[in-house]
Amino acid sequence: MGLFTYVVRRLLLMIPVLVGVSVLIFAISMLFSPYQRATLYVRNPQALNPRTISGIIAKYNLNGSMFSQYFSWIGEVLHGSLGWSTTVRQPVTTALLERFPATFEIVLIAAPVIVILGIWLGVQSAVHRNTAIDHATRTIAILGWSLPSFWFGILLVSFFYVYLGWLPRGGRLSSPVQSFVTSASFVRYTGSNIIDGILNGQLWVTGDAILHVLLPAIVIIVIDIALIIRVMRSSMLEVLNKSYIIAARAKGLTQKQVINKHARRNALIPTITISGLLVGGLITGLVITETVFAIGGLGRWAAQAALNIDMPAVLGFAMFTAVVFVISNLIVDVLYAYIDPRIRLE
Amino acid sequence: MSSSWSEFKASLKPTVKEWKFMLKKLIENPLSIAGVAILSAFVVIAVFAPILAPPQGDDPFMIPRDWRILNVGVLEPIPPTQDHIFGTIENQYDLYYGCIWGTITAFRIGILVVAGALLIGLLIGMGAGYYGGITSEALMRFTDIIIAFPGLVLAMALTIALPNVAQVNLSLFICVIFALLSLTVLVLRANPRITAISGALFVITLLSYLYFPWTVNIGINNLDKVMIALVIIGWPGYARVIRGEVLRVRSEDFIEAARASGCSDLRIIMKHIIPNSVYPVLIMASLDTGAIVLTAAALSFLGLGADQGYADWGQIINSSQHWIGVTNVPITEYLHAFLIPGFLIFMFVLAWNLLGDAVRDVLDPMMRRR
Repeated sequence: MGLFTYVVRRLLLMIPVLVGVSVLIFAISMLFSPYQRATLYVRNPQALNPRTISGIIAKYNLNGSMFSQYFSWIGEVLHGSLGWSTTVRQPVTTALLERFPATFEIVLIAAPVIVILGIWLGVQSAVHRNTAIDHATRTIAILGWSLPSFWFGILLVSFFYVYLGWLPRGGRLSSPVQSFVTSASFVRYTGSNIIDGILNGQLWVTGDAILHVLLPAIVIIVIDIALIIRVMRSSMLEVLNKSYIIAARAKGLTQKQVINKHARRNALIPTITISGLLVGGLITGLVITETVFAIGGLGRWAAQAALNIDMPAVLGFAMFTAVVFVISNLIVDVLYAYIDPRIRLE
Repeated sequence: MSSSWSEFKASLKPTVKEWKFMLKKLIENPLSIAGVAILSAFVVIAVFAPILAPPQGDDPFMIPRDWRILNVGVLEPIPPTQDHIFGTIENQYDLYYGCIWGTITAFRIGILVVAGALLIGLLIGMGAGYYGGITSEALMRFTDIIIAFPGLVLAMALTIALPNVAQVNLSLFICVIFALLSLTVLVLRANPRITAISGALFVITLLSYLYFPWTVNIGINNLDKVMIALVIIGWPGYARVIRGEVLRVRSEDFIEAARASGCSDLRIIMKHIIPNSVYPVLIMASLDTGAIVLTAAALSFLGLGADQGYADWGQIINSSQHWIGVTNVPITEYLHAFLIPGFLIFMFVLAWNLLGDAVRDVLDPMMRRR
């Protein structure tokens, strides 16, 4: 089977999962009253008065059978309408798009560090098995795995902001920078302050944005890096016992060549597979850290929406994360098949 | 003759018993000792909670408040004093009391959620693995869907969706349980006496449901909602692993042998399949307990879990968080209010993770005996 056929097959397998995701989201929405469910069909604030809501209930038959309700709901979803978020007084789709860049910025800083540093630490830990380096790395991994992210975030704020005063308390930008960014002389290309700062040639905006993202990124890195370290270490240990490593050593290659060229590349394969799971960890981490650091991204919006029982927002966010999760697992699978041709043959 | 037979039987036994070997391995590992030690400390705190912090109201899980300070109009957290050895948190709830009784809450969340998820996962995974076919396939697709969500996000959605009061028809509930039991017994071809007893119980409960229905309203507080949500999210993982293990064990020769010698399905499942497939799930459960307490604490922190004043570590941090960075007040003033409960969550989760890690190393056939 060629890579193309494999990708097509995986894409087709994605459809039933996505349908299942929509059914589950719909099932959760059915736990709410018809009145609450009507907000899933609202597109503008005028429709929020009681009379229109009763109209919506009648129009979409929200007291009727589940079957017909599912189809009218999925029709709305496929037209890109996820309902009205009362928390931010916006349609859910708009809120998702508007808040995505803020969340993406944190991922942009954190994810590469998690992957690169995690792989490096995992390799070091395996190569120096049962030495001080190994013990230190494993201890860091298990401590990070056990840290409550919200508590760690609060500790960082109280140390770097309250005690030292080096870094900002939270938010996305300092207030003078914020007013500059919203002025006419600054063009918003992407909505991400870091990227827009570079595109506008205003590097100080980028710098200020990075300062604000630093602490949340550190929290996410410390919490999520453990997974990569762990898998990389054990897969590296397994690879180092393989006969081709002994062959490489017997050939007279240096330790560096053996590790970098022969062992690490093969050990990377299981690490890539689980990096799909990392996306889930990132999303969970973002909900918490954005709340702690008051960053107006997707996660904080979802947390506030849940507090206000703003059902369309929470379900819209859940659906969004599930789609992101499914797609990133697809990318991981394709990457995996690309690196390891044996997978495609199965 | 008989003596040589018993000698032969004795020679078949391993020189080192399995559990002794496991124990030895566990004791050799400093990390597992640390885990056990921390966990034992928490168990002691939980068991002696009524002595360490005597309850003052009707509900021991409600933290007592200091009305003398409250009546003066002071709401902010107060650092440790003679009366409050850990200080107080917002609205003058006693932090020491909250931390002690919070330990019980943490154990309750971890153990109940894992037990619930494990039980459902075990039953469904076992059935799907043993009987295979379309049910098994459908189950796997369902687990795919639950696993497609980040746990915390789905838990958030479920927590706000679950109702505050559940009307449960107890007679119907019991009747359904006995119906399922009778069905299982029938399908598994167990011995006739068990079949007769479960059948009779089913008929009795069916009659009681039809003529004396017994309905109760069960109040579900926010913490219960969190636990229910976590069980719903947790069980597919166990079902999946169990199913895989059962599929592996099912094709082994000794199952064929047992079936050939006339064992009933129930006996094969109880005596041969469960003992051979349960270890990976136990490791998973131990590692999961920490993660579940962490997720529950995160939900409480977001304000979706326990109500204010309930002895729950996450909730205490939630009500303390906005006192950080209040201008013109030295940081030490409010530090205790989140430092202590957060540290307790950290140690609690760490202990379970250390233990789970050690148990995995001991039980994993790939890692052990090296």
